[in-house]
Amino acid sequence: MIKILGKRGLESWLSGLLQERTLVAPKRVNDLILFSPVQSVDEIAFDFENTNLSPKESFFPRTDTLFTAEPKNDDIEITPATIEQEVVIFGIRPCDARGIAELDGPYLTEPADSVWAQRRDKTTLIGLSCTKPAPQCFCSSMGGAPNDPSHVDILLTEVDDGYAVETVTKKGERLLQAVELKESDVKLSVPSCSTTVPAEGVVEAIRKVFDDPYWSRLADRCIHCNICAYVCPTCYCFDIRDYSAKGKIERIRTWESCQSKGFTRIAGGYDPRANKGARLRQRFCHKLLYFPEQFGPIGCVGCGRCVVSCPVNIDIREIISDIQKLGAEVGQGSN
Amino acid sequence: MEANFTQQIRDKAEELLEKGIVECVIGYEIGSDSFSARPVFIYEPAEAERLVFDNTCTHNLVKYLLDKKGKPTAVVVKGCDSRAINLLLSEKQLERDKIFVIGVVCPGVVEWGWNKRSEQLQNRCNLCRQHTPVVFDFLIGEPVTEEPPAEFADIAEMETKSPEERDTFWREQAERCLRCYACRQACPGCYCIDCFVEQLDPEWVGIKIAPEENLMWNAIRAYHLAGRCISCNECERVCPVDIPLSLLNRKLEQRVLDLFDFQSGMSEDTPAPLITFKKDDNVGIGE
Repeated sequence: MIKILGKRGLESWLSGLLQERTLVAPKRVNDLILFSPVQSVDEIAFDFENTNLSPKESFFPRTDTLFTAEPKNDDIEITPATIEQEVVIFGIRPCDARGIAELDGPYLTEPADSVWAQRRDKTTLIGLSCTKPAPQCFCSSMGGAPNDPSHVDILLTEVDDGYAVETVTKKGERLLQAVELKESDVKLSVPSCSTTVPAEGVVEAIRKVFDDPYWSRLADRCIHCNICAYVCPTCYCFDIRDYSAKGKIERIRTWESCQSKGFTRIAGGYDPRANKGARLRQRFCHKLLYFPEQFGPIGCVGCGRCVVSCPVNIDIREIISDIQKLGAEVGQGSN
Repeated sequence: MEANFTQQIRDKAEELLEKGIVECVIGYEIGSDSFSARPVFIYEPAEAERLVFDNTCTHNLVKYLLDKKGKPTAVVVKGCDSRAINLLLSEKQLERDKIFVIGVVCPGVVEWGWNKRSEQLQNRCNLCRQHTPVVFDFLIGEPVTEEPPAEFADIAEMETKSPEERDTFWREQAERCLRCYACRQACPGCYCIDCFVEQLDPEWVGIKIAPEENLMWNAIRAYHLAGRCISCNECERVCPVDIPLSLLNRKLEQRVLDLFDFQSGMSEDTPAPLITFKKDDNVGIGE
């Protein structure tokens, strides 16, 4: 039997939640859909493919204070940032939830990142299955699915008279206490992505094409902005700087990206990735080679945001196919 | 029109590469959604057949010439884009004899995004005063002889708002800014080796991606383009969070037109007024 929460029921449940917690949900801002704290259920956009920016920002804000430090009794007192606020993210897509779970790899491996760990602890994810995957979506090829419950606390799937509710974790269970659900024998349709990408074996393939001129040719077109990294649910690089004011020092972390000129510049001015080809290759090697080597999964969840947002159509799906072809040619040549 | 323009571009590109006049032709090809254009770099004559021209060819390809300095390169330009060539020539960033300009008389490009295409012309194309390229070595299409006068209805509308309303409006816009610098990266007029925003000593703008810093970034960038912006609107097109940057750029364009009767990029011999110093300029100091 499937448990159903009616549309009215959902609204009053969310209204209740936002009384005592911060409710972050998709919200329409001009022509964009952005995750944003909402004060009322009326602000929430329910009809959307996916948000323009990923929900990683709830865990890895574009600007964050890591700690403050000030002199005290001939010593320095360091006060690490503490996160008190309980947050519920409503409307997160399965691909994005998977992205956040993947980032537990780099951020929770010891020494764990304190602010990431605290936010993960304080946040509950209410997922929303994709009933109509968008043309740029390819999560099914990257090990996910439009209705994958694996990385959320509760998964909702829209049905005719409301939402089918799947309680996935204890955290989710707590959130649903006192919520009345109807039982139903409705059949859930299983959608699939329209695009498939040959991702299997890409780790081996990309290793073979590391030195291929392919990357510098591709980089001809790339304008090296940071859009792909900033819209991506699994890009997690940052810059750090200390600011002082009134005798206190604040350590700030902000989003940064391997596409920036100077991202890898070191003291003395040398930059090991000074050319555009090396920078572009880094993006794909990180996702398709280094991340799986270090943490297991491929560092791309198939949300397709970079595909739509790139101003010059650098398309990761096309690149994975190209790498597979080139890798196979290299393989044949060496036999 | 389109099939014919496409064929002429392909023929010219093939000829230029075959004769060794250029090493590379920068033009447009069909992108991964199977119908909208993206930039392409053609190095072999046989590859020239990838080139296309249609009403999605919105990118200003002149920016890419800065990556090809010193190498003979051909580029496909629309009227607006061609002004960027003059801008860069006047600022000594390009060598005229190293570039071959394939100019296209542009009927305008439509609003589109990846896998989305409207039949509506982009607003900047409705206001276009430069359908025919101002610089070219080979022209495709019939030159348009009469261009409309400059029009700034969007700016006039903005100016009906009170300073407080405008302040609120721009703060809201700046709040969305991600500091991804796509505006700068797409802009043919932004070519500083070290952009002010990344300088550390002095630190002109802090690294926080936050409203105050974002406002500062967008305002200074706009000022650096005053009288230099050639209105290709690439900055606004590429912005992932839809900041209406054209309102800043067009306001400055209007002021420069009023004050100096100057339109950037119309000739390679006239540098922008704000980067020109004349001994007899009345700068209002010590009067």
